[in-house]
This record gives sequence, structure tokens and C-alpha cells, in this order.
Amino acid sequence: MSKLKIELEVNQRKVVRETEPQKRLLDFLREDLNLTGAKEGCGAGECGTCSVFVDGKLVKSCLMPVAKASGCKVETIEGLAEPGQLTPVQKAFHKTGASQCGYCIPGMVMAATSALRANPDAGIEEIKERLGGNICRCTGYTKIFEAVEMARAVIAGDMAPAELEEDAVGASYIGANVRRLDAPSKVSGRLKYAADMRMPDMLQMQVLRSPHAHAKILSIDTSEAEAMEGVACVITSRDVPGQDGFGVFVHDQPIMARGKVRHVGEAVAAVAAEDLLTARRALSKIRVEYQELPGIFDPQEAMEPGAPVVHDYAPGNVVKHIPVRKGDTAAGFAAADLVLEDDFSTQQVEHAYLEPEAGIAYVDPDDVVVVISPSQNITHHRHMLSHIIDKPINKVRFIMSPVGGGFGGKEDMIYQGMLALAAMKTHRPVQLNFTREESLIASAKRHPSLVHYKMGLTKDGRITAIEFNMLSDGGAYGMSSEGVMRKAAILSCGPYEVENLKVDTTAVYTNNTPSGAFRTFGGMQAQFATESMMDMAAEALGMDPFEIRRVNMMKIGSRTHTQQELTTASLDRVLDAAEKASRWETGAPVSRGSQRGDLGGPDTRAPCTLGARINQPDVAAGKEKVA
Amino acid sequence: MDRKLRGRGVAASWYGIARTATIDRAGAWAELDDGGTAKIVTGVTEIGEGILTLLAQVAADELGIKPSQVTIGDNDTARSPEAAHAGATRQTYMIGNSVALASREAKKALFEQIADHWGVEIDTLRSFDGEVWAEGTNLRMSMEEAVATCKARGVVPVGSASFTAHGTGLDPVDGSGSPWQAYVFGTQVAEVEVDTYTGEVQVLGIWAVHDVGRAINPRGVEGQIEGGVVQGLGQALMEDYRTEKGHTTTHGFAKYILPTSLDIPQINCTIVEDPDPLSPLGAKGIGEPALVPTAPAIMNAIYDAIGVRMKSLPATPEKILSALRERGANQESGIRQGGA
Repeated sequence: MSKLKIELEVNQRKVVRETEPQKRLLDFLREDLNLTGAKEGCGAGECGTCSVFVDGKLVKSCLMPVAKASGCKVETIEGLAEPGQLTPVQKAFHKTGASQCGYCIPGMVMAATSALRANPDAGIEEIKERLGGNICRCTGYTKIFEAVEMARAVIAGDMAPAELEEDAVGASYIGANVRRLDAPSKVSGRLKYAADMRMPDMLQMQVLRSPHAHAKILSIDTSEAEAMEGVACVITSRDVPGQDGFGVFVHDQPIMARGKVRHVGEAVAAVAAEDLLTARRALSKIRVEYQELPGIFDPQEAMEPGAPVVHDYAPGNVVKHIPVRKGDTAAGFAAADLVLEDDFSTQQVEHAYLEPEAGIAYVDPDDVVVVISPSQNITHHRHMLSHIIDKPINKVRFIMSPVGGGFGGKEDMIYQGMLALAAMKTHRPVQLNFTREESLIASAKRHPSLVHYKMGLTKDGRITAIEFNMLSDGGAYGMSSEGVMRKAAILSCGPYEVENLKVDTTAVYTNNTPSGAFRTFGGMQAQFATESMMDMAAEALGMDPFEIRRVNMMKIGSRTHTQQELTTASLDRVLDAAEKASRWETGAPVSRGSQRGDLGGPDTRAPCTLGARINQPDVAAGKEKVA
Repeated sequence: MDRKLRGRGVAASWYGIARTATIDRAGAWAELDDGGTAKIVTGVTEIGEGILTLLAQVAADELGIKPSQVTIGDNDTARSPEAAHAGATRQTYMIGNSVALASREAKKALFEQIADHWGVEIDTLRSFDGEVWAEGTNLRMSMEEAVATCKARGVVPVGSASFTAHGTGLDPVDGSGSPWQAYVFGTQVAEVEVDTYTGEVQVLGIWAVHDVGRAINPRGVEGQIEGGVVQGLGQALMEDYRTEKGHTTTHGFAKYILPTSLDIPQINCTIVEDPDPLSPLGAKGIGEPALVPTAPAIMNAIYDAIGVRMKSLPATPEKILSALRERGANQESGIRQGGA
């Protein structure tokens, strides 16, 4: 392919290069200039991790063909300050703790810089609007807002630059707001995540994924792909030398589909080639013959007799059932003055860490297979991979690269095995960077849930019995389903002492995208149902929601749902603090919003209307309140 | 009826710290190093929550140096002791305590030499912020000198430790057991405004109160709470990964809607400290518990505002409008029945 000659200015240096015409500005900056501060989070202009300035204007470099940047002045995160220095915006991000995983942060710093360049007096509402094109998944944005306001004040001379330095520490470092030690590397874009790393002689991997939810694999023909120039190897499940299978609790997932595919997006084969484009082209030369099988997509149908079976070892499609029993629920309901029964459901949720899965594997000179990836569980991954590739455990080494957000979604070893196999087959470093679309279909989600709930209470609000039944769609593989069901069951009935309960949580296999570990591990789904029931009961009994919770709360000496005696318990203090902090007006939850006197305090924000706050100096300066 | 209605709701929550229904463990190595610095090595750390900084604070406090003087070597199964995994709200509890214990070992090795060098009892020695001294005397030196003195006497001040949390498995029939040795509790209040024309819900305020045992870095704790609240808000109102016959229909961030800066309520954090009696630091954790009560608090607030109970997440504008219409229809038929 003919090359494209590009002349532009990058961070005040003239750059003249020949490059591939299909590249985006983001690829050119990252691959040709090794300026990896701009990250690829979505490749579609939605997340803002790739933000740079082009001729002074904030742009998403994943949307701009490099040819279009020719002749332009480009400024990246690396060019904002002299090496080793930080701008006031970057210092403020450091000071407030505005970076957590850090992956969105270079883009966020660019957007913040852009906001203050556009309007040095920007108020908080305008700042929020100007940051609206940049997604952060870790921080909840609050510390970012604080940082931008702080930087604005310092730039305007309203605040001493010394305020951006670390607070003095008292008699101990415990309890001190020590600034994050890793923040300078994140706010400056210097930290290298797995996709930012380069090794000499490194190959690029691409993965062929299943287009079917449930299908038998009749044959895989990789010969044409293997014969292509630039292709170093093609791997399938045939290349696994040891005992194939991984998973957090049950090792039911092969490195690549073995015999059949169980969900759309499951890895079937992978190519390692000299460059990304060749690897992608080679995928289209792999011939897979499938025989489609009836799929199962509904967790209730998965449990019906005669339902298609997803895994032979689990003919009823049950991944795990966890029972918890305490007391006598029949007696408890008999003693109740009020019995409520209802159903609740929660959806599948994506982790949406801004860093898509990425990794590098190589074989070191001592024949150690090394995998570098943002894995949340290098210990377990090492154990599993050693069985899969049939090597002693000290010949398998996992290095955890900086994690650009995990939330449980990077506990599953869904690609590290492929990288290891390709590195072993070629004895060259191999890198795989997921696209966002690939990450969405191949990685686990938060378990969706269906909860049937029955709660009995006395007139004074005391819970006498609970029946709690949760059914969850575990998707195609077990991943963390067992643990999620266990935690959901243990926490199910909430922080309340319940004498009589019957709890069942069940996860089933389907041909949907797998569900796995996600921050709260089942605890959120279960307690959403419980806390809704508590308010419904409070309404029926005419009790204040804090009061009904106090009547039932666990205390020191309480026995939990699993009959553990608590030696500490702080819910009394927590409820008191929440009631006080929120200035809560006592009353039963009878849909009394219109009568409340505790709304709209100084500790709330103004409601917003999109686009309403830019170029309105009087509004931007103060806190807008809509009556 | 006004177009925009406001309301408030509350939800409480609880959570267990570290791995569930099993014995959890984490190891760490510590070395007081030349120049009065330190090396801490442990198996698994930062995923964005701020644990590196927290471990540096813990090591600095235990050893008597500054956090900036601590180098954390980590993340490598071939170069560091096992610390299991980054999840389960276990990092501060498991690895924090392991680092505290390893640091104590290293300091003890140093203090034995310094006590002997000065001819004082070891329990009179103190260190903080790079200084070592003996209480009740004028004896004082920098940590740099102390390490040099220790090494000149032939001892490298190193320590190692393992921290254990004793959870037990659940009985397979009745589920009884002690899955965790430390529990945390939380409560959140949400204030919302519902647009009854569009069904859109804006969360204007969250009051988040969480017991964390002991806040080692309060600003870091707030960051975890704020992030958890916003993930909870996303699940409550907008996020929805959908498939049709196994094929996703939410294949990118254009379809999978996430909270942005304009969706963020004012988040008011209150940290409650009920120290854990079973561990040296007393700290527990906050990563996961922070988002547990957010969605139910928001749903309870929506009910307070508009009188419809959202039992199916997310409470999208479409679902809110449909629930409002259903309630309207029920009320009308109720009125008709009442009149009949």
C-alpha cells in the first residue's frame, strides 16, 4: 500500500513522516510517534480518552483521519508542560485525587484545559458541560470538578499556587490526605498501560469470534490464513498442550471454543501477524463450519425440562444454587400482621472500564511464559495457565500492568491464554488489544436478577419472616456465578436481624453474554429488592423509613442470616449520621415529595438542561437554581 | 400536577470484607533501605482505588518515614509474595494489614541494632517522618543514619508477614457459617427530580454514609464512595446491556449509556469509623459497599416524588412514563369503581 506523507506540528516540534493512509490521528500519535498519552477507549468518539488539541480545538483523535491533521498544530497531553513539570490543571488533579485508574485522565485533563482556555471564568455548570464528552468510570467526577475549579482559581490568581501542594501532615500518616503517589504519571499521560507498551519484534493478535450463540463446530480450516505473508501463527483449541479450562469457580471455559460455541463473541481462533492489518485480513481467511444448535436465552426457560443444554456436565443448566435457612418461616408468617409479596428485576450491566482488555505475552530466555495484562487476579491466572499449557508453575509468570478500571471485569482469564499459546508457538512477543465492541461481547457483565420476595411484619414494623428467591442468568460460562450467588444469598435480607428466613439464589447457564464478577458481587441486586420492600412495608405501616430500619437493624450480638454472631455492628451510628447529614424530615414514605420541607438544600445541585449553561455569564458565575 | 416533581428516599446496606466463606490471605515483604527509604513488595495492588498510596502511608507510618520514601514493588507472580487478587473489597484489609505487619518486622530488626548501639531499651525507641529517637534521652538520628548504622553492624533490616482473615464455608443445607470476620454498614439518601413529561430522572443530591473501620486516606475513601454512587446511579437509571437471541444490541458506548459529568448529583460523604478489632490497622474497606444502597435509595426517592414504584431496573424515562400512565389509568378506573 502506498504511504502518505504527513507534515504537521506536534507539541511545538515539526514532524514529517510517511505513514499508512488508513490511520487515524490517534494511531499516528500512538504508533508512529509513541505519544501514548491519548488512549483508545471506544474508537467511536464517545468516551473522550483520545482527546487532543488540533489547531487549538479539542478533538477526539479517534475520529480524525491522520491526513486531515496534515498541516495542523497538534497538542497532546505530553506537550502541556515541560518534562517533569505539571500545569496547574494537572497539579489540581493530583491534589484533589481526581485520578483513580487514570485511563480517562489524559483526555479529561485535555478537556479541562480546553474548558479553562475557552473561558477562564467558567462556572461549575459550564465546566460540567464542557467535560460532558469525556467519560470517567472510577471517580464519580466529583473530585474532577473540584480540581478544575481549583485550577481555575489558581490560574486566575484567586488562589495561591501553594494550595496545590500537599497538605502538612500531623502526628501520623494514617488518616492523612496524602496525595496519590501514582497521580503525576497519570495526569501527565506517562503511565504505560498494556496497550501502550511496545516490545521489539512484537506481533499483533486478532481473534476470530463466534457469530452464533450456540453451535457445533464441525471444522476449522486455518491453512489459507497460515499461508499468508506476514502471518506468524494461527491458534485454535487444538494448540492447547495441557488441560484446557478456566473460570473463577468452575473451569468450564476453554481458551478458545472446543467443539462448540456457547455465546456470540466467544473466541474460536486467533492470528498473530507482523501487523494489525495483516492479522485482521487473516481472520477472514479462516474457514469455520458451524452447525447451529437451539439456543437458550431466558433463565426461567433454561430450568425447564427439555431445555437445550449448554454444558454437558450440568444437564439442568444450573451453575449453582445456594440455600440459606434460619428459623421457621411458616411460624414467622403466621405471626405477621402484614405480609407483602412482590417481584423485582435488575438488568445486565457492563463494567465499562475505559481501558479495553489488552495484553502482551512472551517466552523469556529461561523458557518462562510471561503474560503482562491488567489482570485483577494474577495469582489464580498463573495457577490456571500452568495447567492449560502444561508447565510447572514457576515457568508461568503473570505481571499486572496498570489497570485502567476493573470493577471485577478483569478477573476472568478470557484472553491471556491465547496470548500465551501464540507466544509459545512463535517465540516472539505477541500483543492483543481489544476493541470496545469486542470487549462488550466477550467480557462478563453484572448478573441480571429476578427476585421473588415475601416479607412478613408485625404492626410495629418488626420483620417476622422473609422468603427470598433469586434467579440469575449466568450466561454461557460459569465465571464468578457461584460466588455471586453465594454473596447474594448471604447478604440477601439486608442488614436486619430476621429470625425466620428461607433464601435461595440460583444462577443458570444460557447462551447469553456471560455474567461474572462486578463490584458488589450480587449484593446490590439482592439489597435493591430488600430496600424496596422495607420502604413498601414502611408505607403500609405508616412508619418513617429510618425508623423501620432501626427496629430491625443488626446490632452487636445479632445473628446474621447465616447465623454468625456479630461482635461489631455500626448500622445504628450510620443511620443516625445519614438522617442528620441529609436533614431528613421524618414521615412515612407515602409519596409525600410535594409536601417535604427538606428539599433543595445547599447540599444539592441544580437540575440541568442540556446546553443551557454555556455563554451565559450571569448563570455561569453562580449556582443556578431552577424553581 | 406540576411537571417536575421532587422526592427523597433512603436505603441501608451491609457488606462483608475480603473473600467470602473461605480463609483469605496476603503476604508482603518490607525492607528499610539506604537513605532512610523503604521497599515494600506484595503480590497484587493498584486497580485505581488508590491502594499504592495507602500502602505507602501504612508502611511510612509503621517505619517512621515519609510515604514518598516508600517504593512499592508489586504486580508480579515471579518477583513478589502472594497477595491473591484485587477485588472483594480486600485490598486495604488484607494487603494493608500484611504490609503493616511486615513493616513492623523490618523496624524491629532495625531497632534491635539501634537500641544496642545506643545502649537503651528497645521499647524506648520511636521513629517518625525520617527521624529515630529514644524517649527520655537526647539520642536522635536520621533514618538514613539508622539504616547505615544497622547495616554497619551486619544486619539488613528486613521483614515479612502474612495476614489471614478467617472466613468459614457455608453449610450446604442451611447455609450457616461465618463467611467474613469483618462487616461494614452503609446508608444513602437520594434526592431526585422527575420530569413527568419526559420521564427523565435527575439525581440532585446523595448523602452517603459508610462505616470503613478506619479511614487511612479520607479523600481516597470519598473517591471510592463518589465512584460507587455514580456506578449505582448508572445502574438505577440508564445502563442496560441488552441482547436479542444472544446478539448484543448495545455494542458500543453510543448504545450503552453511561453517566457523564451532567448526571452527577452533589455527593455528600460522611465517613463513620468503627474499627475492626481483629486486625492491626482497624481499617475495613469501601470499594464495593459504596454502590449497594444507591439504586434502591433512588427508586425510593422516585416513589416519594411521583408515587410509582420502580421494581425493574433501570428506571428509564420510558419505564417511568409507562408507570405514570398505568397509575393514571388505575386511578381513573378506581374513581369510576368508587362512583359505581
